[in-house]
Amino acid sequence: MFAVTMVAVLVTMGLALTRAALGPTLFDRILALNMFGTKTVLLIAVVGFLTGRPDFLDLALLYALMNFIGTITVLRFLRFGHFTDEPEPEEP
Amino acid sequence: METVIAVLSWFCLVTGSAFAIIGGIGLLRLPDFYTRMHGGGITDTLGAGLIMVGLSLQAGLSLITVKLLLILVFSLVASPTAGYALAKSARTHGLEPWKREDDR
Amino acid sequence: MSRLPTLGDQWVVIPLLVLLVCTAITIIRMRSLMAAVLLTGIYSFLSASWMLLLDAPDVAFTEAAVGAGLSTVLMLATLALTSRDAKPPVRRPWGPLFVVVVTGAALVYGTLDMPHYGDPDAPAQRYPSPSYVERTAAETEIRNVVTVVLASYRGYDTLGETTVIFTAGIGVLLLLRGRARRMGTREREKS
Repeated sequence: MFAVTMVAVLVTMGLALTRAALGPTLFDRILALNMFGTKTVLLIAVVGFLTGRPDFLDLALLYALMNFIGTITVLRFLRFGHFTDEPEPEEP
Repeated sequence: METVIAVLSWFCLVTGSAFAIIGGIGLLRLPDFYTRMHGGGITDTLGAGLIMVGLSLQAGLSLITVKLLLILVFSLVASPTAGYALAKSARTHGLEPWKREDDR
Repeated sequence: MSRLPTLGDQWVVIPLLVLLVCTAITIIRMRSLMAAVLLTGIYSFLSASWMLLLDAPDVAFTEAAVGAGLSTVLMLATLALTSRDAKPPVRRPWGPLFVVVVTGAALVYGTLDMPHYGDPDAPAQRYPSPSYVERTAAETEIRNVVTVVLASYRGYDTLGETTVIFTAGIGVLLLLRGRARRMGTREREKS
């Protein structure tokens, strides 16, 4: 039962990787990266149950956070060109 | 009671995996970026949700279930936010949605 | 706490490694640098999952936080200062390819001499690891021996590493922010 889920998550990761490689626009690739991160979270949870060591769920929580922050940072960078909140310096 | 929980968890896990694969196939086959986000959304909400529910049914009432549900809650909050940010960013970047007469 | 790979493990490890190789090949073939940076993020996620399967959760934590989160962001910030696409290669790189192949072959030849995974007679397991494993249960309340070694028995090493990484991060951020702002001001003065 866990093996079935694991295989399905691995297949989905492969599909997301294909979209990241193909995707004509940049946003397709960002979407694929985001989906890959959430699939990694699922993979860790399922593999933890499969090997009888569900203590790795802390790691899965960290990945979920990292994935979200990474996606938002990439988008912010695309939109503004920088990461900070400060206003651009005034004209002299 | 044990077998009921086991069967329910098995059902949730298999359905969750099916939705994950469906979302992945959607990511590949749908014609446009905005439509592909639906595929990503399916895997994040239904796929992840059902798999996590199935796993927590297996684990019973313990700290593991709390962690799993915590991951699920965070994922359900973060994933639509990221999707919205992505769509808005693509729109301000000028990416046009696909129309039926484009015939791709 | 070594665990030899059981029969079920290979069904996860082999597809993961195949995905790693596919990602690496795709990164090499990509012309758009931003796409390559995002694929590097995917590579970090895969490496972290693989390290998790090798029973190294602390390393996996670091790989996820640094590789998928921080490194992607810093590389994108660097891309803002240079072009977004790689220039097409001028001539075939046979020389570098030869050097890479020879180095890789030498490294693989070197690994043939390494002890088996989880071998109890390996030099790393004989000293001082058994004493750490024996003393952990008695002296601390933490169950993960690696964490105890990192944080308690070899705490000064960890302090040094944290200082180095923190300094490097601050240095890179200062470089990127200062240059970006100066370049932005210069462009505004030109127009």
